[in-house]
Amino acid sequence: MSKRGPVDEAYEPYEPRRRVPLPVYWVAIALALWGALTLWQDSTADRTGARERLMEANALERRQTMTGSALFAERCATCHQADGSGISGAIPPLASSRFVQADPRVIVQILLHGITGPIVVDGDDFNGHMPAFGSVLDDDQLARLATAVRRTWGPGGTIDPRFVAAERARTANRGIPWSGGAEIAAALDPAIGIQPAYHPLASASADTTALSIARNGKSGGWPCASCHGANGEGRDGVPRLAGQSADYIAGQLLAFANGSRPNDIMRPVASQLSASERGGLGRLYAGLASPSTSRSELAGDLARGAELALYGDDRRNLPSCFSCHGPSGFGVAPSTPSIAAQQPGYTAGRLAALARFARSRPGAVMPAIAARLNDTDRRAVADYLATLPPSPVTARKDAR
Amino acid sequence: MNDRNEDPAIREPAHDKVRGRNTRTGIYAITGGLLLFLFAIMVRDEFAFRGRENSPPAANVPLSFTPPPMSKIPDGPEGASIRHGMAIFENTGTEAKPFVGNQLACRSCHLDAGRKADSAPMWAAWVSYPQYRAKNKKMNTMEDRLNGCFSYSMNAQGSPSGGPPPKGDPIYADLEAYFHWLASNAPTGTKLKGAGFLKLKLPQAGYDRDRGRAVYAQHCASCHGDDGQGRTDINGRQVFPPLWGPRSYNWGAGMAQLNNAAGFIKANMPLGAGNTLTDQQAWDAAAWIDSQERPKDPRQKGTVAENVVAFHSGEKTFYGKTVDGHLLGSGTEAPVQASRR
Repeated sequence: MSKRGPVDEAYEPYEPRRRVPLPVYWVAIALALWGALTLWQDSTADRTGARERLMEANALERRQTMTGSALFAERCATCHQADGSGISGAIPPLASSRFVQADPRVIVQILLHGITGPIVVDGDDFNGHMPAFGSVLDDDQLARLATAVRRTWGPGGTIDPRFVAAERARTANRGIPWSGGAEIAAALDPAIGIQPAYHPLASASADTTALSIARNGKSGGWPCASCHGANGEGRDGVPRLAGQSADYIAGQLLAFANGSRPNDIMRPVASQLSASERGGLGRLYAGLASPSTSRSELAGDLARGAELALYGDDRRNLPSCFSCHGPSGFGVAPSTPSIAAQQPGYTAGRLAALARFARSRPGAVMPAIAARLNDTDRRAVADYLATLPPSPVTARKDAR
Repeated sequence: MNDRNEDPAIREPAHDKVRGRNTRTGIYAITGGLLLFLFAIMVRDEFAFRGRENSPPAANVPLSFTPPPMSKIPDGPEGASIRHGMAIFENTGTEAKPFVGNQLACRSCHLDAGRKADSAPMWAAWVSYPQYRAKNKKMNTMEDRLNGCFSYSMNAQGSPSGGPPPKGDPIYADLEAYFHWLASNAPTGTKLKGAGFLKLKLPQAGYDRDRGRAVYAQHCASCHGDDGQGRTDINGRQVFPPLWGPRSYNWGAGMAQLNNAAGFIKANMPLGAGNTLTDQQAWDAAAWIDSQERPKDPRQKGTVAENVVAFHSGEKTFYGKTVDGHLLGSGTEAPVQASRR
């Protein structure tokens, strides 16, 4: 229309329209989808997390209010069996047991302090060790448990928590388990009848060297008690040693010293020890019957922990803990350690550490199992094991 | 109008042509984007989809099966029978005391209370009976089969009653109730994945008990003991079962045959680390374990040599062979009855 000058003042430089290459679209769309998926997954994870926290809170709540028969199923049935039939030759039955029929003080005292030594139940001889539940169950739980057992196999009735509290106070300083059926019958209810006599083993004289290392350390090194506690009860991530098998402790000290069990804290301490000192320390801690100080503190799901410990998880190829560590986690000397009443921080940490060896040590059992446990399961099982009564002290552990 | 038409860069093509091109570009872009996204997901999941492509089950491909969780055992009298069956399975020496002549329980070989695949799980056994068995040359009901378990694996000849539970004993009914429940919703008439023991081909080098002794020392002895007698806990309760000697299964048991033992070992041992031994190691360990003396075959009437012909021909077994100057199959002395189980 108008005539153009040689230079168009109004001229705007422009890029000719070029099509955006297809790969750019591809990447953009893929990224957008990815982002949407991630956002969606995050929101679900958030919801799952909230649900899991709620479940954990419920599990804790449930633990406080568990019925007596549920407590029995989780705490007692591994030995006495769900139907109270016991194990022929090893664990006395509860069905048709005079100890269950007897004065309620009997069952409460046995639960509080445990029992060790010969006992005759329903005409059969037993000579074993029942753990003390006094340090892991409160009066209320013990009352519910004792009530359930007496209602199922005994005269029935209800045991009041105040009755348990009174019995606990009455024998607060006892510190050792009841010595077989004879002491129970004599002290609590003669109606139980004749029981075999208890012959205590001649206790070995105290190993002063081991005692000194445990309390004062060796040549300026750390004493065991500085971390593991005065009674070997452990704390936080430091394991409980009391009631562990002597052979196992000695073996682990050797493994720390030669590096086959890598541990920067234990290595310098263990390297100082001679073979006889390792053995002495093992026997010292194996003989300590300290109450449990372990408490569930990792917010693990106790029901899941109990499931793993008692039954395992066949869908994930996890055998139960107790299938190797013994029916109550008391260990099977010398191959498998006691895991009952272990400090949960230690158990979970040790499982995580073992999982790291799964690739480098094919065929090793615990690394393979630990690698199949996720963090939630490790916390669950560690917290459950912490609620178990400590392994009874016995000379038989290292008999083989 | 003219000048615009002169510039090809801003010349507008026909309207529908533009739309056609944009649509095509859009389709390419979205398709490509989706493909790239799916590819990325597959890479992330390490081709997790691959397995699903073959999922339509062919007729003769074994089906996998998962038994119901224990919490689903029903209440009432049926549940009571199932629970008692499970108690017998787990605690055989107490619940079926008159008929058990060793320190084993059903669970010793049928792991996880008879649930674990490749350790002769009971859900798979339940759906494969009645069955003809060459072992006794007749059609076997589950009760017949269980009678065999008690006779051989549980060594009933050494039990207080001297034999397996009599026909019709409630022990059979309760065990069967438990198996039946384990097999809830299991398909019948088809092969189930994990049934029986793993069929393990004999490697080129065969089996060798001396190699087996070394495998045993390294991988088995820490739980089952150098002497193969297993271990007991502080109460004398057997935790790790004895593998030979008077307190183990007798010469008539399936586990005394090397192919069964090797398959069991390969898939399940060491407990919790199954399938870590090589086939060769599994066969050799089986050879070491099954070339030790154990209670005699209860079917034996004449000499061991006669019994080989009668019942052990064609088996992969050390029965009737002489090892270190000892004729295997001669049997063991009955253990002292004060034994603990």
